[in-house]
Amino acid sequence: MTTRELLLTTWNWNPFWIAVCVLGLLAYGWIFGWKLQAKSVYFFLGLILLFLSLASPIDFLARGYLFSAHMLQHLLLVLIVPPLLLLGLPDPGNKFRLPEGIAPWVKHPLIGWLSGVGAMWFWHIPAVCDAATSIEAVHTLQTFSLLMMGTLFWRLIVGPRMEERLSPMAGIPYLVSACVACSLLGIWITFTAVSVCPVFMNPMDRMEILPMIRDSWGLTPAADQQIGGLLMWVPACLVYLGAVLVLLVRFYRHPAKTEKKHAS
Amino acid sequence: MNENTSNPPSVEIFHAKSEGNGFFSWVATVDHKRIGILYLLTAFFFFGVGGLEALVMRLQLAKPNNHLLSPDAYDQLFTMHGTTMIFLVVMPTLIGFSNYFVPLMIGARDMAFPRLNAMGFWFFPFGGLLLHFSLLAGGAPSVGWFSYAPLSETPFASSPGVDYWILALLALGIGSISTSINLIATVLALRAPGMSIRRLPLFVWMVFVNSFLLILALPALNAAIIMLFIDRQLNAHFFLPAQGGSALLWQHFFWTFGHPEVYIMILPAFGIISEVIPVFSRKHIFGYEFVAASTVAIALLSFGVWAHQMFTVGLGQPMDIFFAATSMLIAVPTGVKVFNWSATLWGGSIHLTTSMLFAVAFLLQFTLGGLSGITFAVVPIDWQVHDTYYVVAHFHYVLFGGSLFGVFAGIYYWFPKMTGRLLSESMGKLHFWLTVIGFNMAFFVQHFLGLMGMTRRVYTYPDFPGWGFLNMISTVGAFILGFSVLVLVWNMAVSLRRGTPAGDNPWNAWTLEWAASSPPAEHNFDQLPPIYGRRPLWDLAHPEQPDEPGSIRDKIDGNRTDKNKAGMMSFIVSEAFFFIMLLIAYVFYNFSQHPAPGTQLLNPLKTGIFTFCLLASSFTYWRAEKRMEARNQTAFFGWLAATLVLGGVFLGGQALEYWGLFQKGLRAGTNLFSASFFMVTGLHGLHVLIGLIGLLIVLWMALAGDFKKGNRGVIQMVGLYWHFVDVVWIAVFTTIYLVGARS
Repeated sequence: MTTRELLLTTWNWNPFWIAVCVLGLLAYGWIFGWKLQAKSVYFFLGLILLFLSLASPIDFLARGYLFSAHMLQHLLLVLIVPPLLLLGLPDPGNKFRLPEGIAPWVKHPLIGWLSGVGAMWFWHIPAVCDAATSIEAVHTLQTFSLLMMGTLFWRLIVGPRMEERLSPMAGIPYLVSACVACSLLGIWITFTAVSVCPVFMNPMDRMEILPMIRDSWGLTPAADQQIGGLLMWVPACLVYLGAVLVLLVRFYRHPAKTEKKHAS
Repeated sequence: MNENTSNPPSVEIFHAKSEGNGFFSWVATVDHKRIGILYLLTAFFFFGVGGLEALVMRLQLAKPNNHLLSPDAYDQLFTMHGTTMIFLVVMPTLIGFSNYFVPLMIGARDMAFPRLNAMGFWFFPFGGLLLHFSLLAGGAPSVGWFSYAPLSETPFASSPGVDYWILALLALGIGSISTSINLIATVLALRAPGMSIRRLPLFVWMVFVNSFLLILALPALNAAIIMLFIDRQLNAHFFLPAQGGSALLWQHFFWTFGHPEVYIMILPAFGIISEVIPVFSRKHIFGYEFVAASTVAIALLSFGVWAHQMFTVGLGQPMDIFFAATSMLIAVPTGVKVFNWSATLWGGSIHLTTSMLFAVAFLLQFTLGGLSGITFAVVPIDWQVHDTYYVVAHFHYVLFGGSLFGVFAGIYYWFPKMTGRLLSESMGKLHFWLTVIGFNMAFFVQHFLGLMGMTRRVYTYPDFPGWGFLNMISTVGAFILGFSVLVLVWNMAVSLRRGTPAGDNPWNAWTLEWAASSPPAEHNFDQLPPIYGRRPLWDLAHPEQPDEPGSIRDKIDGNRTDKNKAGMMSFIVSEAFFFIMLLIAYVFYNFSQHPAPGTQLLNPLKTGIFTFCLLASSFTYWRAEKRMEARNQTAFFGWLAATLVLGGVFLGGQALEYWGLFQKGLRAGTNLFSASFFMVTGLHGLHVLIGLIGLLIVLWMALAGDFKKGNRGVIQMVGLYWHFVDVVWIAVFTTIYLVGARS
């Protein structure tokens, strides 16, 4: 199999995820009255990326072949898709309020931070990572939990309810500390001799593409893990950094609002 | 008093009753302006020292196969030159300007912690002395300012030079961190009414961001040099590959600090330029928001590019590619700044004062240095030019052509404010042209020498065609540069006595420092002008066209953090980074095998009990705080005593554990486990001890009845620190005893 064939034939047309995406689209249209807004683009982009990360060859390679592909999928699901979906949502006003009992818990910044960082650390405990890669049910659970935890993390920065967003001066340490926590894991994965996800050491070569990956792509298991670690370390941190810059832009654009909120 | 004017935020005044002008009044001063001047003068003295070292080196390099200096003397010179210029010249100069002008520019009375400020300063001259004392104690360090291990280890550098280097850097680091904490607290807590964060002068903003960079980057250096010190003094072998250590880890740790350090040395200079260029173009800065935001981007990115210093190490292709990408990326926010400064000049009514000339030269030379910097991001080019004079040329364009030109612009700009007299413009222009010519002669040719393959840090070079000629140009340039400094000294000496009186605002500038008298009174301002925008003095002079029409102070004033809290929190963040570095080292040395060899000597259960005591002490302290709030003195003393006992029991438990390990023959130098174990737990124990001392101070103050007057900030601050020490222990215990030692 050539690289080209691989990219064309390994799409995963899992009806479940197609249904999730279509339902998401319908729900979005129905709830917000079938009116397209500029920010809907974010939502669509989020859905497209969600679909790509779960159906494209990224998913195929992430299931046992390449740790770096797994990491790409992981980061898309935590760091890219949730904020895009959130950015696409209009302010729901009084609709969809959380029940009073759990709202303060869900809304606490510490919970948001721990979900965002926990999503990175928990799913890279070697045994957990192995299970999520090789057992379908755990993989699905992982996908959902990543989306959920990512949403909990990002709602404080780009959530649809303005009053629930962190003020820029609180948001910057929130993001920078998350970047540090995530970089530490990335650095560990990059440099450690220990295999973070041992499944990827000797993949079950169901499509007989391993020689191509190892030889023509030049990805040894060690280099593969290194790329995975670097993905989490460098580009992931750039996402947080980008969000910091967005906050700064907001801070300078709406001084009265942001500073007053900070004071209260 | 006009209803719009306001008094500067008050600071508790620790100043001596009358400062007077004698020698002792300068030694004992806690006035931020005097401390600023002390910083500048001391740094200027070391600038002379470092400059002379450079001239001697240039003499040696003036012709091929020269033997003026022995190889070892040359090594000592370039080590001392680099260390001096970085730690004793550029950093303290910029800190000195920050010290003098940050409180003035935000309309404050003084720094948030004047006595801490004095302490921070005095670490600097004594750190410098410690470094130079090595000359008397068996020779200066001769291993480069980066002290690459294993070259800097005892087997290869047996004279105590490196030890003095380590101690000096630790002392200087403590000083820099305390001053940075002070600056952060000052900016957060002491801004005048109306001076919201988004109205900060760009110099203040950059110093503010830079202070965070300092408190985050220096812990990495401190961790590395403490490890090196343990290697050298306690016979451990963290960085000795022959005994299983890793020389590479030194490089990672050093450059984790070293690359942000580059930005630490340039950001405040960016700030000076961002003040000077608008004033002498008679325009707003173009894109204030972009200049401010790009500073944050640079600061954050600077932590993600260090590995580009190590392309030649052989980190592997994935590493090289990622770090090449980030290194190119960091050029973007820097380019944004250059673009904004140029756009500020565009169409402005440019006044080419000496200060402005230096700023314009900064712009050109820094851009050149930045461009040659980007070439290193291209891995194959880096492999080719690494350790050649191309690199020397590059960083001198950044640090001299950039930072120091910024400093010169600052000197000409602010000298009238500091002394009340203008520097002579004609002598200033002579100084400027000599500096520009000398600098470019000395360093531009080094690009070519580097590309032709001349290696740095080698005391002489063979007589290849052209090399002798180019080096001679460089040497002549260096001496012109040296002479130009004398012109500056002369200018300052003469102007100080006979310069034209400056008046309060000789440049018609707009920021608050120009509202004070020249030199400012000890209390800075009698009265502040109203602050309705980024340029209060412009608004004052042009009420008909204010910068922010219709702005009302109260609505957009923003809040002021409590200065104690701001100070303690930044200290804790810095300490947290220090422990993160130590734990990274522990993981690095002990986690490649599982469980790590040596950890079977540990007893997680027994230590777990003492851990429980420490955690319980956080609880008891929290209760003590609550009792104090409820004004229940007896219960407060009870809980506080319990905290002290529990903390003491934890330290006792640690002593017991150490004793047991000693009995089994374990020493710091036994193996990598013992070295890293004693380092991490020992340094944590030291912090517990400091926390206990803090608790004793709280106890003492309570007994003296200090808290009855309502001054309870101390209880809260010591509490923050105490809880922090406990949280660190949770991380240490988890790493060493739970994850690392699990069988």
